[in-house]
Amino acid sequence: MAIDYSALYPVMVMVVFAAALPAIHAVAKSSRVLAGVSLVGIFVTMALELMYIVSGEYPAAIGGASVELLRLDVFAALFALVFLAVAFYVVLASARYVEKDRHQAEYFSLILLATAGMMVVAMAVDLITLFAGLEVASISSFALTAFRKKDKRGAEAGAKYYVIGGLSSAIALYGISLLYGITGTTNIAGINTVLAGMGSELDIALLLAIGLLIAGFGFKVALVPFHMWAPDVYEGAPDPIAGLLAAGSKKMGMVLLFKVFLVGLIAIKADWQLLAGVLAVLTMTVGNVIAVQQTNIKRMLAYSSVGQAGYMIIALAVATPYAVEGSIFHIITHAFMKGGAFMIVAALAYVALGENIANYKGLAKRAPFLAISMTLLLFALAGIPPLSGFVSKFVLFSAAIDASQIADQNWMFWLAIAAILNSALSLYYYVRVIKYMYVDEGSTKDRIKVPWSMTAAVAICVIATIVIGVWPDPVIDVCEQAARALFAG
Amino acid sequence: MLENVPILSLLLIVPFVGAMTTLLLGTSPKASKYLALVFSGITLVLSVLLLFNFSLSSTEAFQFRENYVWIQQLGISYNLAVDGISLPMVFLSALLVFLSILFSWDVEERTRTYMGLMLILEVGVLGVFMALDYFIFYVFWEVVLIPMYFLIAIWGGPSRAYASIKFFIYTHIASLVMLLGIFALYFTASPLLGSPSFGMEAIASVAGSFGHDLALIVFSALLFGFIVKMPMVPFHTWLPDAHVQAPTAGSVLLAGLLLKMGSYGVIRVCITTFNDLSHEATIMVALAVIGVVSIIYGAFACLAQTDLKKMVAYSSISHMGIVLLGIATMTELGLAAAVFQMFSHGLITAVLFMTCGMFQHKAGTREIPLLGGLAPKMPIVATIMMIGFMASLGLPGLVGFIAEFSVFTATYNIFDLWVLIPVMSVAITAAYYIWAMQRTIFGDLTTKIDTKHIHDSYWFETVPLAVLIGLIALFGIFPSLLMDIILPSVAPLAAVI
Repeated sequence: MAIDYSALYPVMVMVVFAAALPAIHAVAKSSRVLAGVSLVGIFVTMALELMYIVSGEYPAAIGGASVELLRLDVFAALFALVFLAVAFYVVLASARYVEKDRHQAEYFSLILLATAGMMVVAMAVDLITLFAGLEVASISSFALTAFRKKDKRGAEAGAKYYVIGGLSSAIALYGISLLYGITGTTNIAGINTVLAGMGSELDIALLLAIGLLIAGFGFKVALVPFHMWAPDVYEGAPDPIAGLLAAGSKKMGMVLLFKVFLVGLIAIKADWQLLAGVLAVLTMTVGNVIAVQQTNIKRMLAYSSVGQAGYMIIALAVATPYAVEGSIFHIITHAFMKGGAFMIVAALAYVALGENIANYKGLAKRAPFLAISMTLLLFALAGIPPLSGFVSKFVLFSAAIDASQIADQNWMFWLAIAAILNSALSLYYYVRVIKYMYVDEGSTKDRIKVPWSMTAAVAICVIATIVIGVWPDPVIDVCEQAARALFAG
Repeated sequence: MLENVPILSLLLIVPFVGAMTTLLLGTSPKASKYLALVFSGITLVLSVLLLFNFSLSSTEAFQFRENYVWIQQLGISYNLAVDGISLPMVFLSALLVFLSILFSWDVEERTRTYMGLMLILEVGVLGVFMALDYFIFYVFWEVVLIPMYFLIAIWGGPSRAYASIKFFIYTHIASLVMLLGIFALYFTASPLLGSPSFGMEAIASVAGSFGHDLALIVFSALLFGFIVKMPMVPFHTWLPDAHVQAPTAGSVLLAGLLLKMGSYGVIRVCITTFNDLSHEATIMVALAVIGVVSIIYGAFACLAQTDLKKMVAYSSISHMGIVLLGIATMTELGLAAAVFQMFSHGLITAVLFMTCGMFQHKAGTREIPLLGGLAPKMPIVATIMMIGFMASLGLPGLVGFIAEFSVFTATYNIFDLWVLIPVMSVAITAAYYIWAMQRTIFGDLTTKIDTKHIHDSYWFETVPLAVLIGLIALFGIFPSLLMDIILPSVAPLAAVI
């Protein structure tokens, strides 16, 4: 029987463009041309995915009926769109950022490959394909982090990311092998069926597997206490790549957790729900509290990402379709809010403005557009309406309240309380940046000029943040479909 | 005349478009000021049209309704309407923003942003007063914070950074507690309604069947969100800081409108949704105690202030306490008087803060011990100050008297002679105002500051104040103009079912 590969077409487009870039570089030695070609590739893939979502018809899953490996459904297509959107503005912002670097073709090629890997993770319905996609994305990101190999901080960040990333993959893989040993299948939905049939007896190997999977994937998402690497890596990586890691890779980690826990282990959710809840509260609190003390803007944004991951993990603890809908929605809005903030940092770093928050003093007069954009994005991150972050937090936090009305789940109420207190706390360090930009006088009043491509990347994020905030209906609708598709297995 | 005009939406769109136009086209301070004045002027005209087209004989609780589904899945609607409680607030908002913009005619620093923020603030405040859906209510509620934060942080006094961030975070935390209350309302009411809904009326229609304990918790969470905004003692500490540091127009809007959002929320949300609960004696006494403590505490704190503006700020706490006391009676007269007091305090406090601003401007200081005998130097300012103080301490014939007198009457009807405690505050109020006047405008001319260059008010200061004083007298002499609008809307709340 001939295999229908059409589900892989979007990934193939990305890979073909990634492979073509080095060849193009041989002809046209311009980072702008390379970025342009990459953008075309991303755009075509986005159009493909969007077509699937709008038409509601998806290609057949790859693999046999009983042993599916990859399935392109609304969940996969939606996350692919998120990853592609992140890749789009990262490439846009990089067009000028890397113009003086060597190996530009490899840079853009790796961004496309990392994105392709993430897309495979979103499609995977089998632990093996899941892991394969994860590794493609991870290895590309390691190389991207250390892209400026002569930059000490970058090299250190790359090495650190590589060691921790490799270790966490190994831990996760061990967890996967234990799961396979217990259930005899690597199909994620199949694992759940077997576990459901096993009854409620507590297996020590199963608990170990749960622990290893949470630890392994927890590293990718930077859950506390597995978060130590994130700020160092974000600080050392090239600025657009920090955006890719925060807005792209991290979301892939969320997909991993969703797939393995909410599909593969949902039958035994009573065993890990409370643990996920504790991790969620711990992650948001530690992330936000440490962010308050940061003086480097990239570290501050990194710790704020840790905090935001804590909000998203609420969906794991609550484990209802409505909560996952909220979490997916928050992942989408966060991709634009946090990504946009990193793009602004990248644009300002490009014109050699330092990364210390104090360097942003008086920015409102020097770069009015970037300052107002940063303000909007930070307000959105803090969850101030009518921006997108408010609506997504609204859905996510309310899901915890909703679930807490069921007996035995009253503790989930405290998830919402913790999240709301954290939101208030986060406002403090976001507003501090705004205060520096608008209230304080800078040492100079010279206007800052940034390349239009970077301005465009920031503008995309800001517009998305406003539009989703004011008119969230269609996005919520797709998120609901995606959450239902996930739970349908 | 207005049947087919979406006038409530226009009340939001006009200032919003005005804000954007000012931010984009306000290339010179002059252009910004005129643009802002024109757009806030149109808004004011719209609100006056609304006032005159409001039907007193209508059987509908709400008028001018606009209701469209916004986020279907969550049951969120763009639902706007006004009744006799919100209408005075809508008019007050449009009026105070317009006059504040005029009063800020001498702002030369970043005028475009300043004017744009004032108009955004107007959108938020009007939205709060017109929203009948919890989601958009909360959105507008939070939108208000941002322009006010910037108004204090950029154009404020020496410790503006501290005051603005304290204001922002303090009130934001209160909003979040309120949000928890809204979530609880939503998830408890939705199964009872059969479909998810954030509609205020829909939720209120089933709130009677919430369990008593749950109702009490939700009521308290919502109430907390509102009384921090009002603000009631002991959650008032953000207010003196914010007021002292804010620019004059910021203070006018903060005291005139933002505090009203709190008391409006208590009426529109707490006692409307949980009407049975609100009629319970314990709740009424609790509200009355909070109100009376604020009345007395605010009044005594005023006596101790040396900064004229801080004194006025504390007097706001005292006067907002009267609003809560009126609400606590849960009678038709008390509730109507509470709304009336909100309106009257909005007018009076605007006069007071503008006066403080002029002192700062002309004498260079607001410290009472440094001032003295300034009446001959600036007779108009002194006259206005005197009228403002008299109105605020409840001189008969002016608007404040009607409100306070009605609240105290209603309090006597319900709480008997306990009314003597808040009534005592009138004496303290009179004391601090008259004492402050004595020390600032009467007596011998001060020698502690340079008084050579002190001059009287400018036209753009006199005109807004004259308008305000005119209205203070008008509604003081003809309170029924407003009471007739308010009474039908509060009557259902007061009725025991």
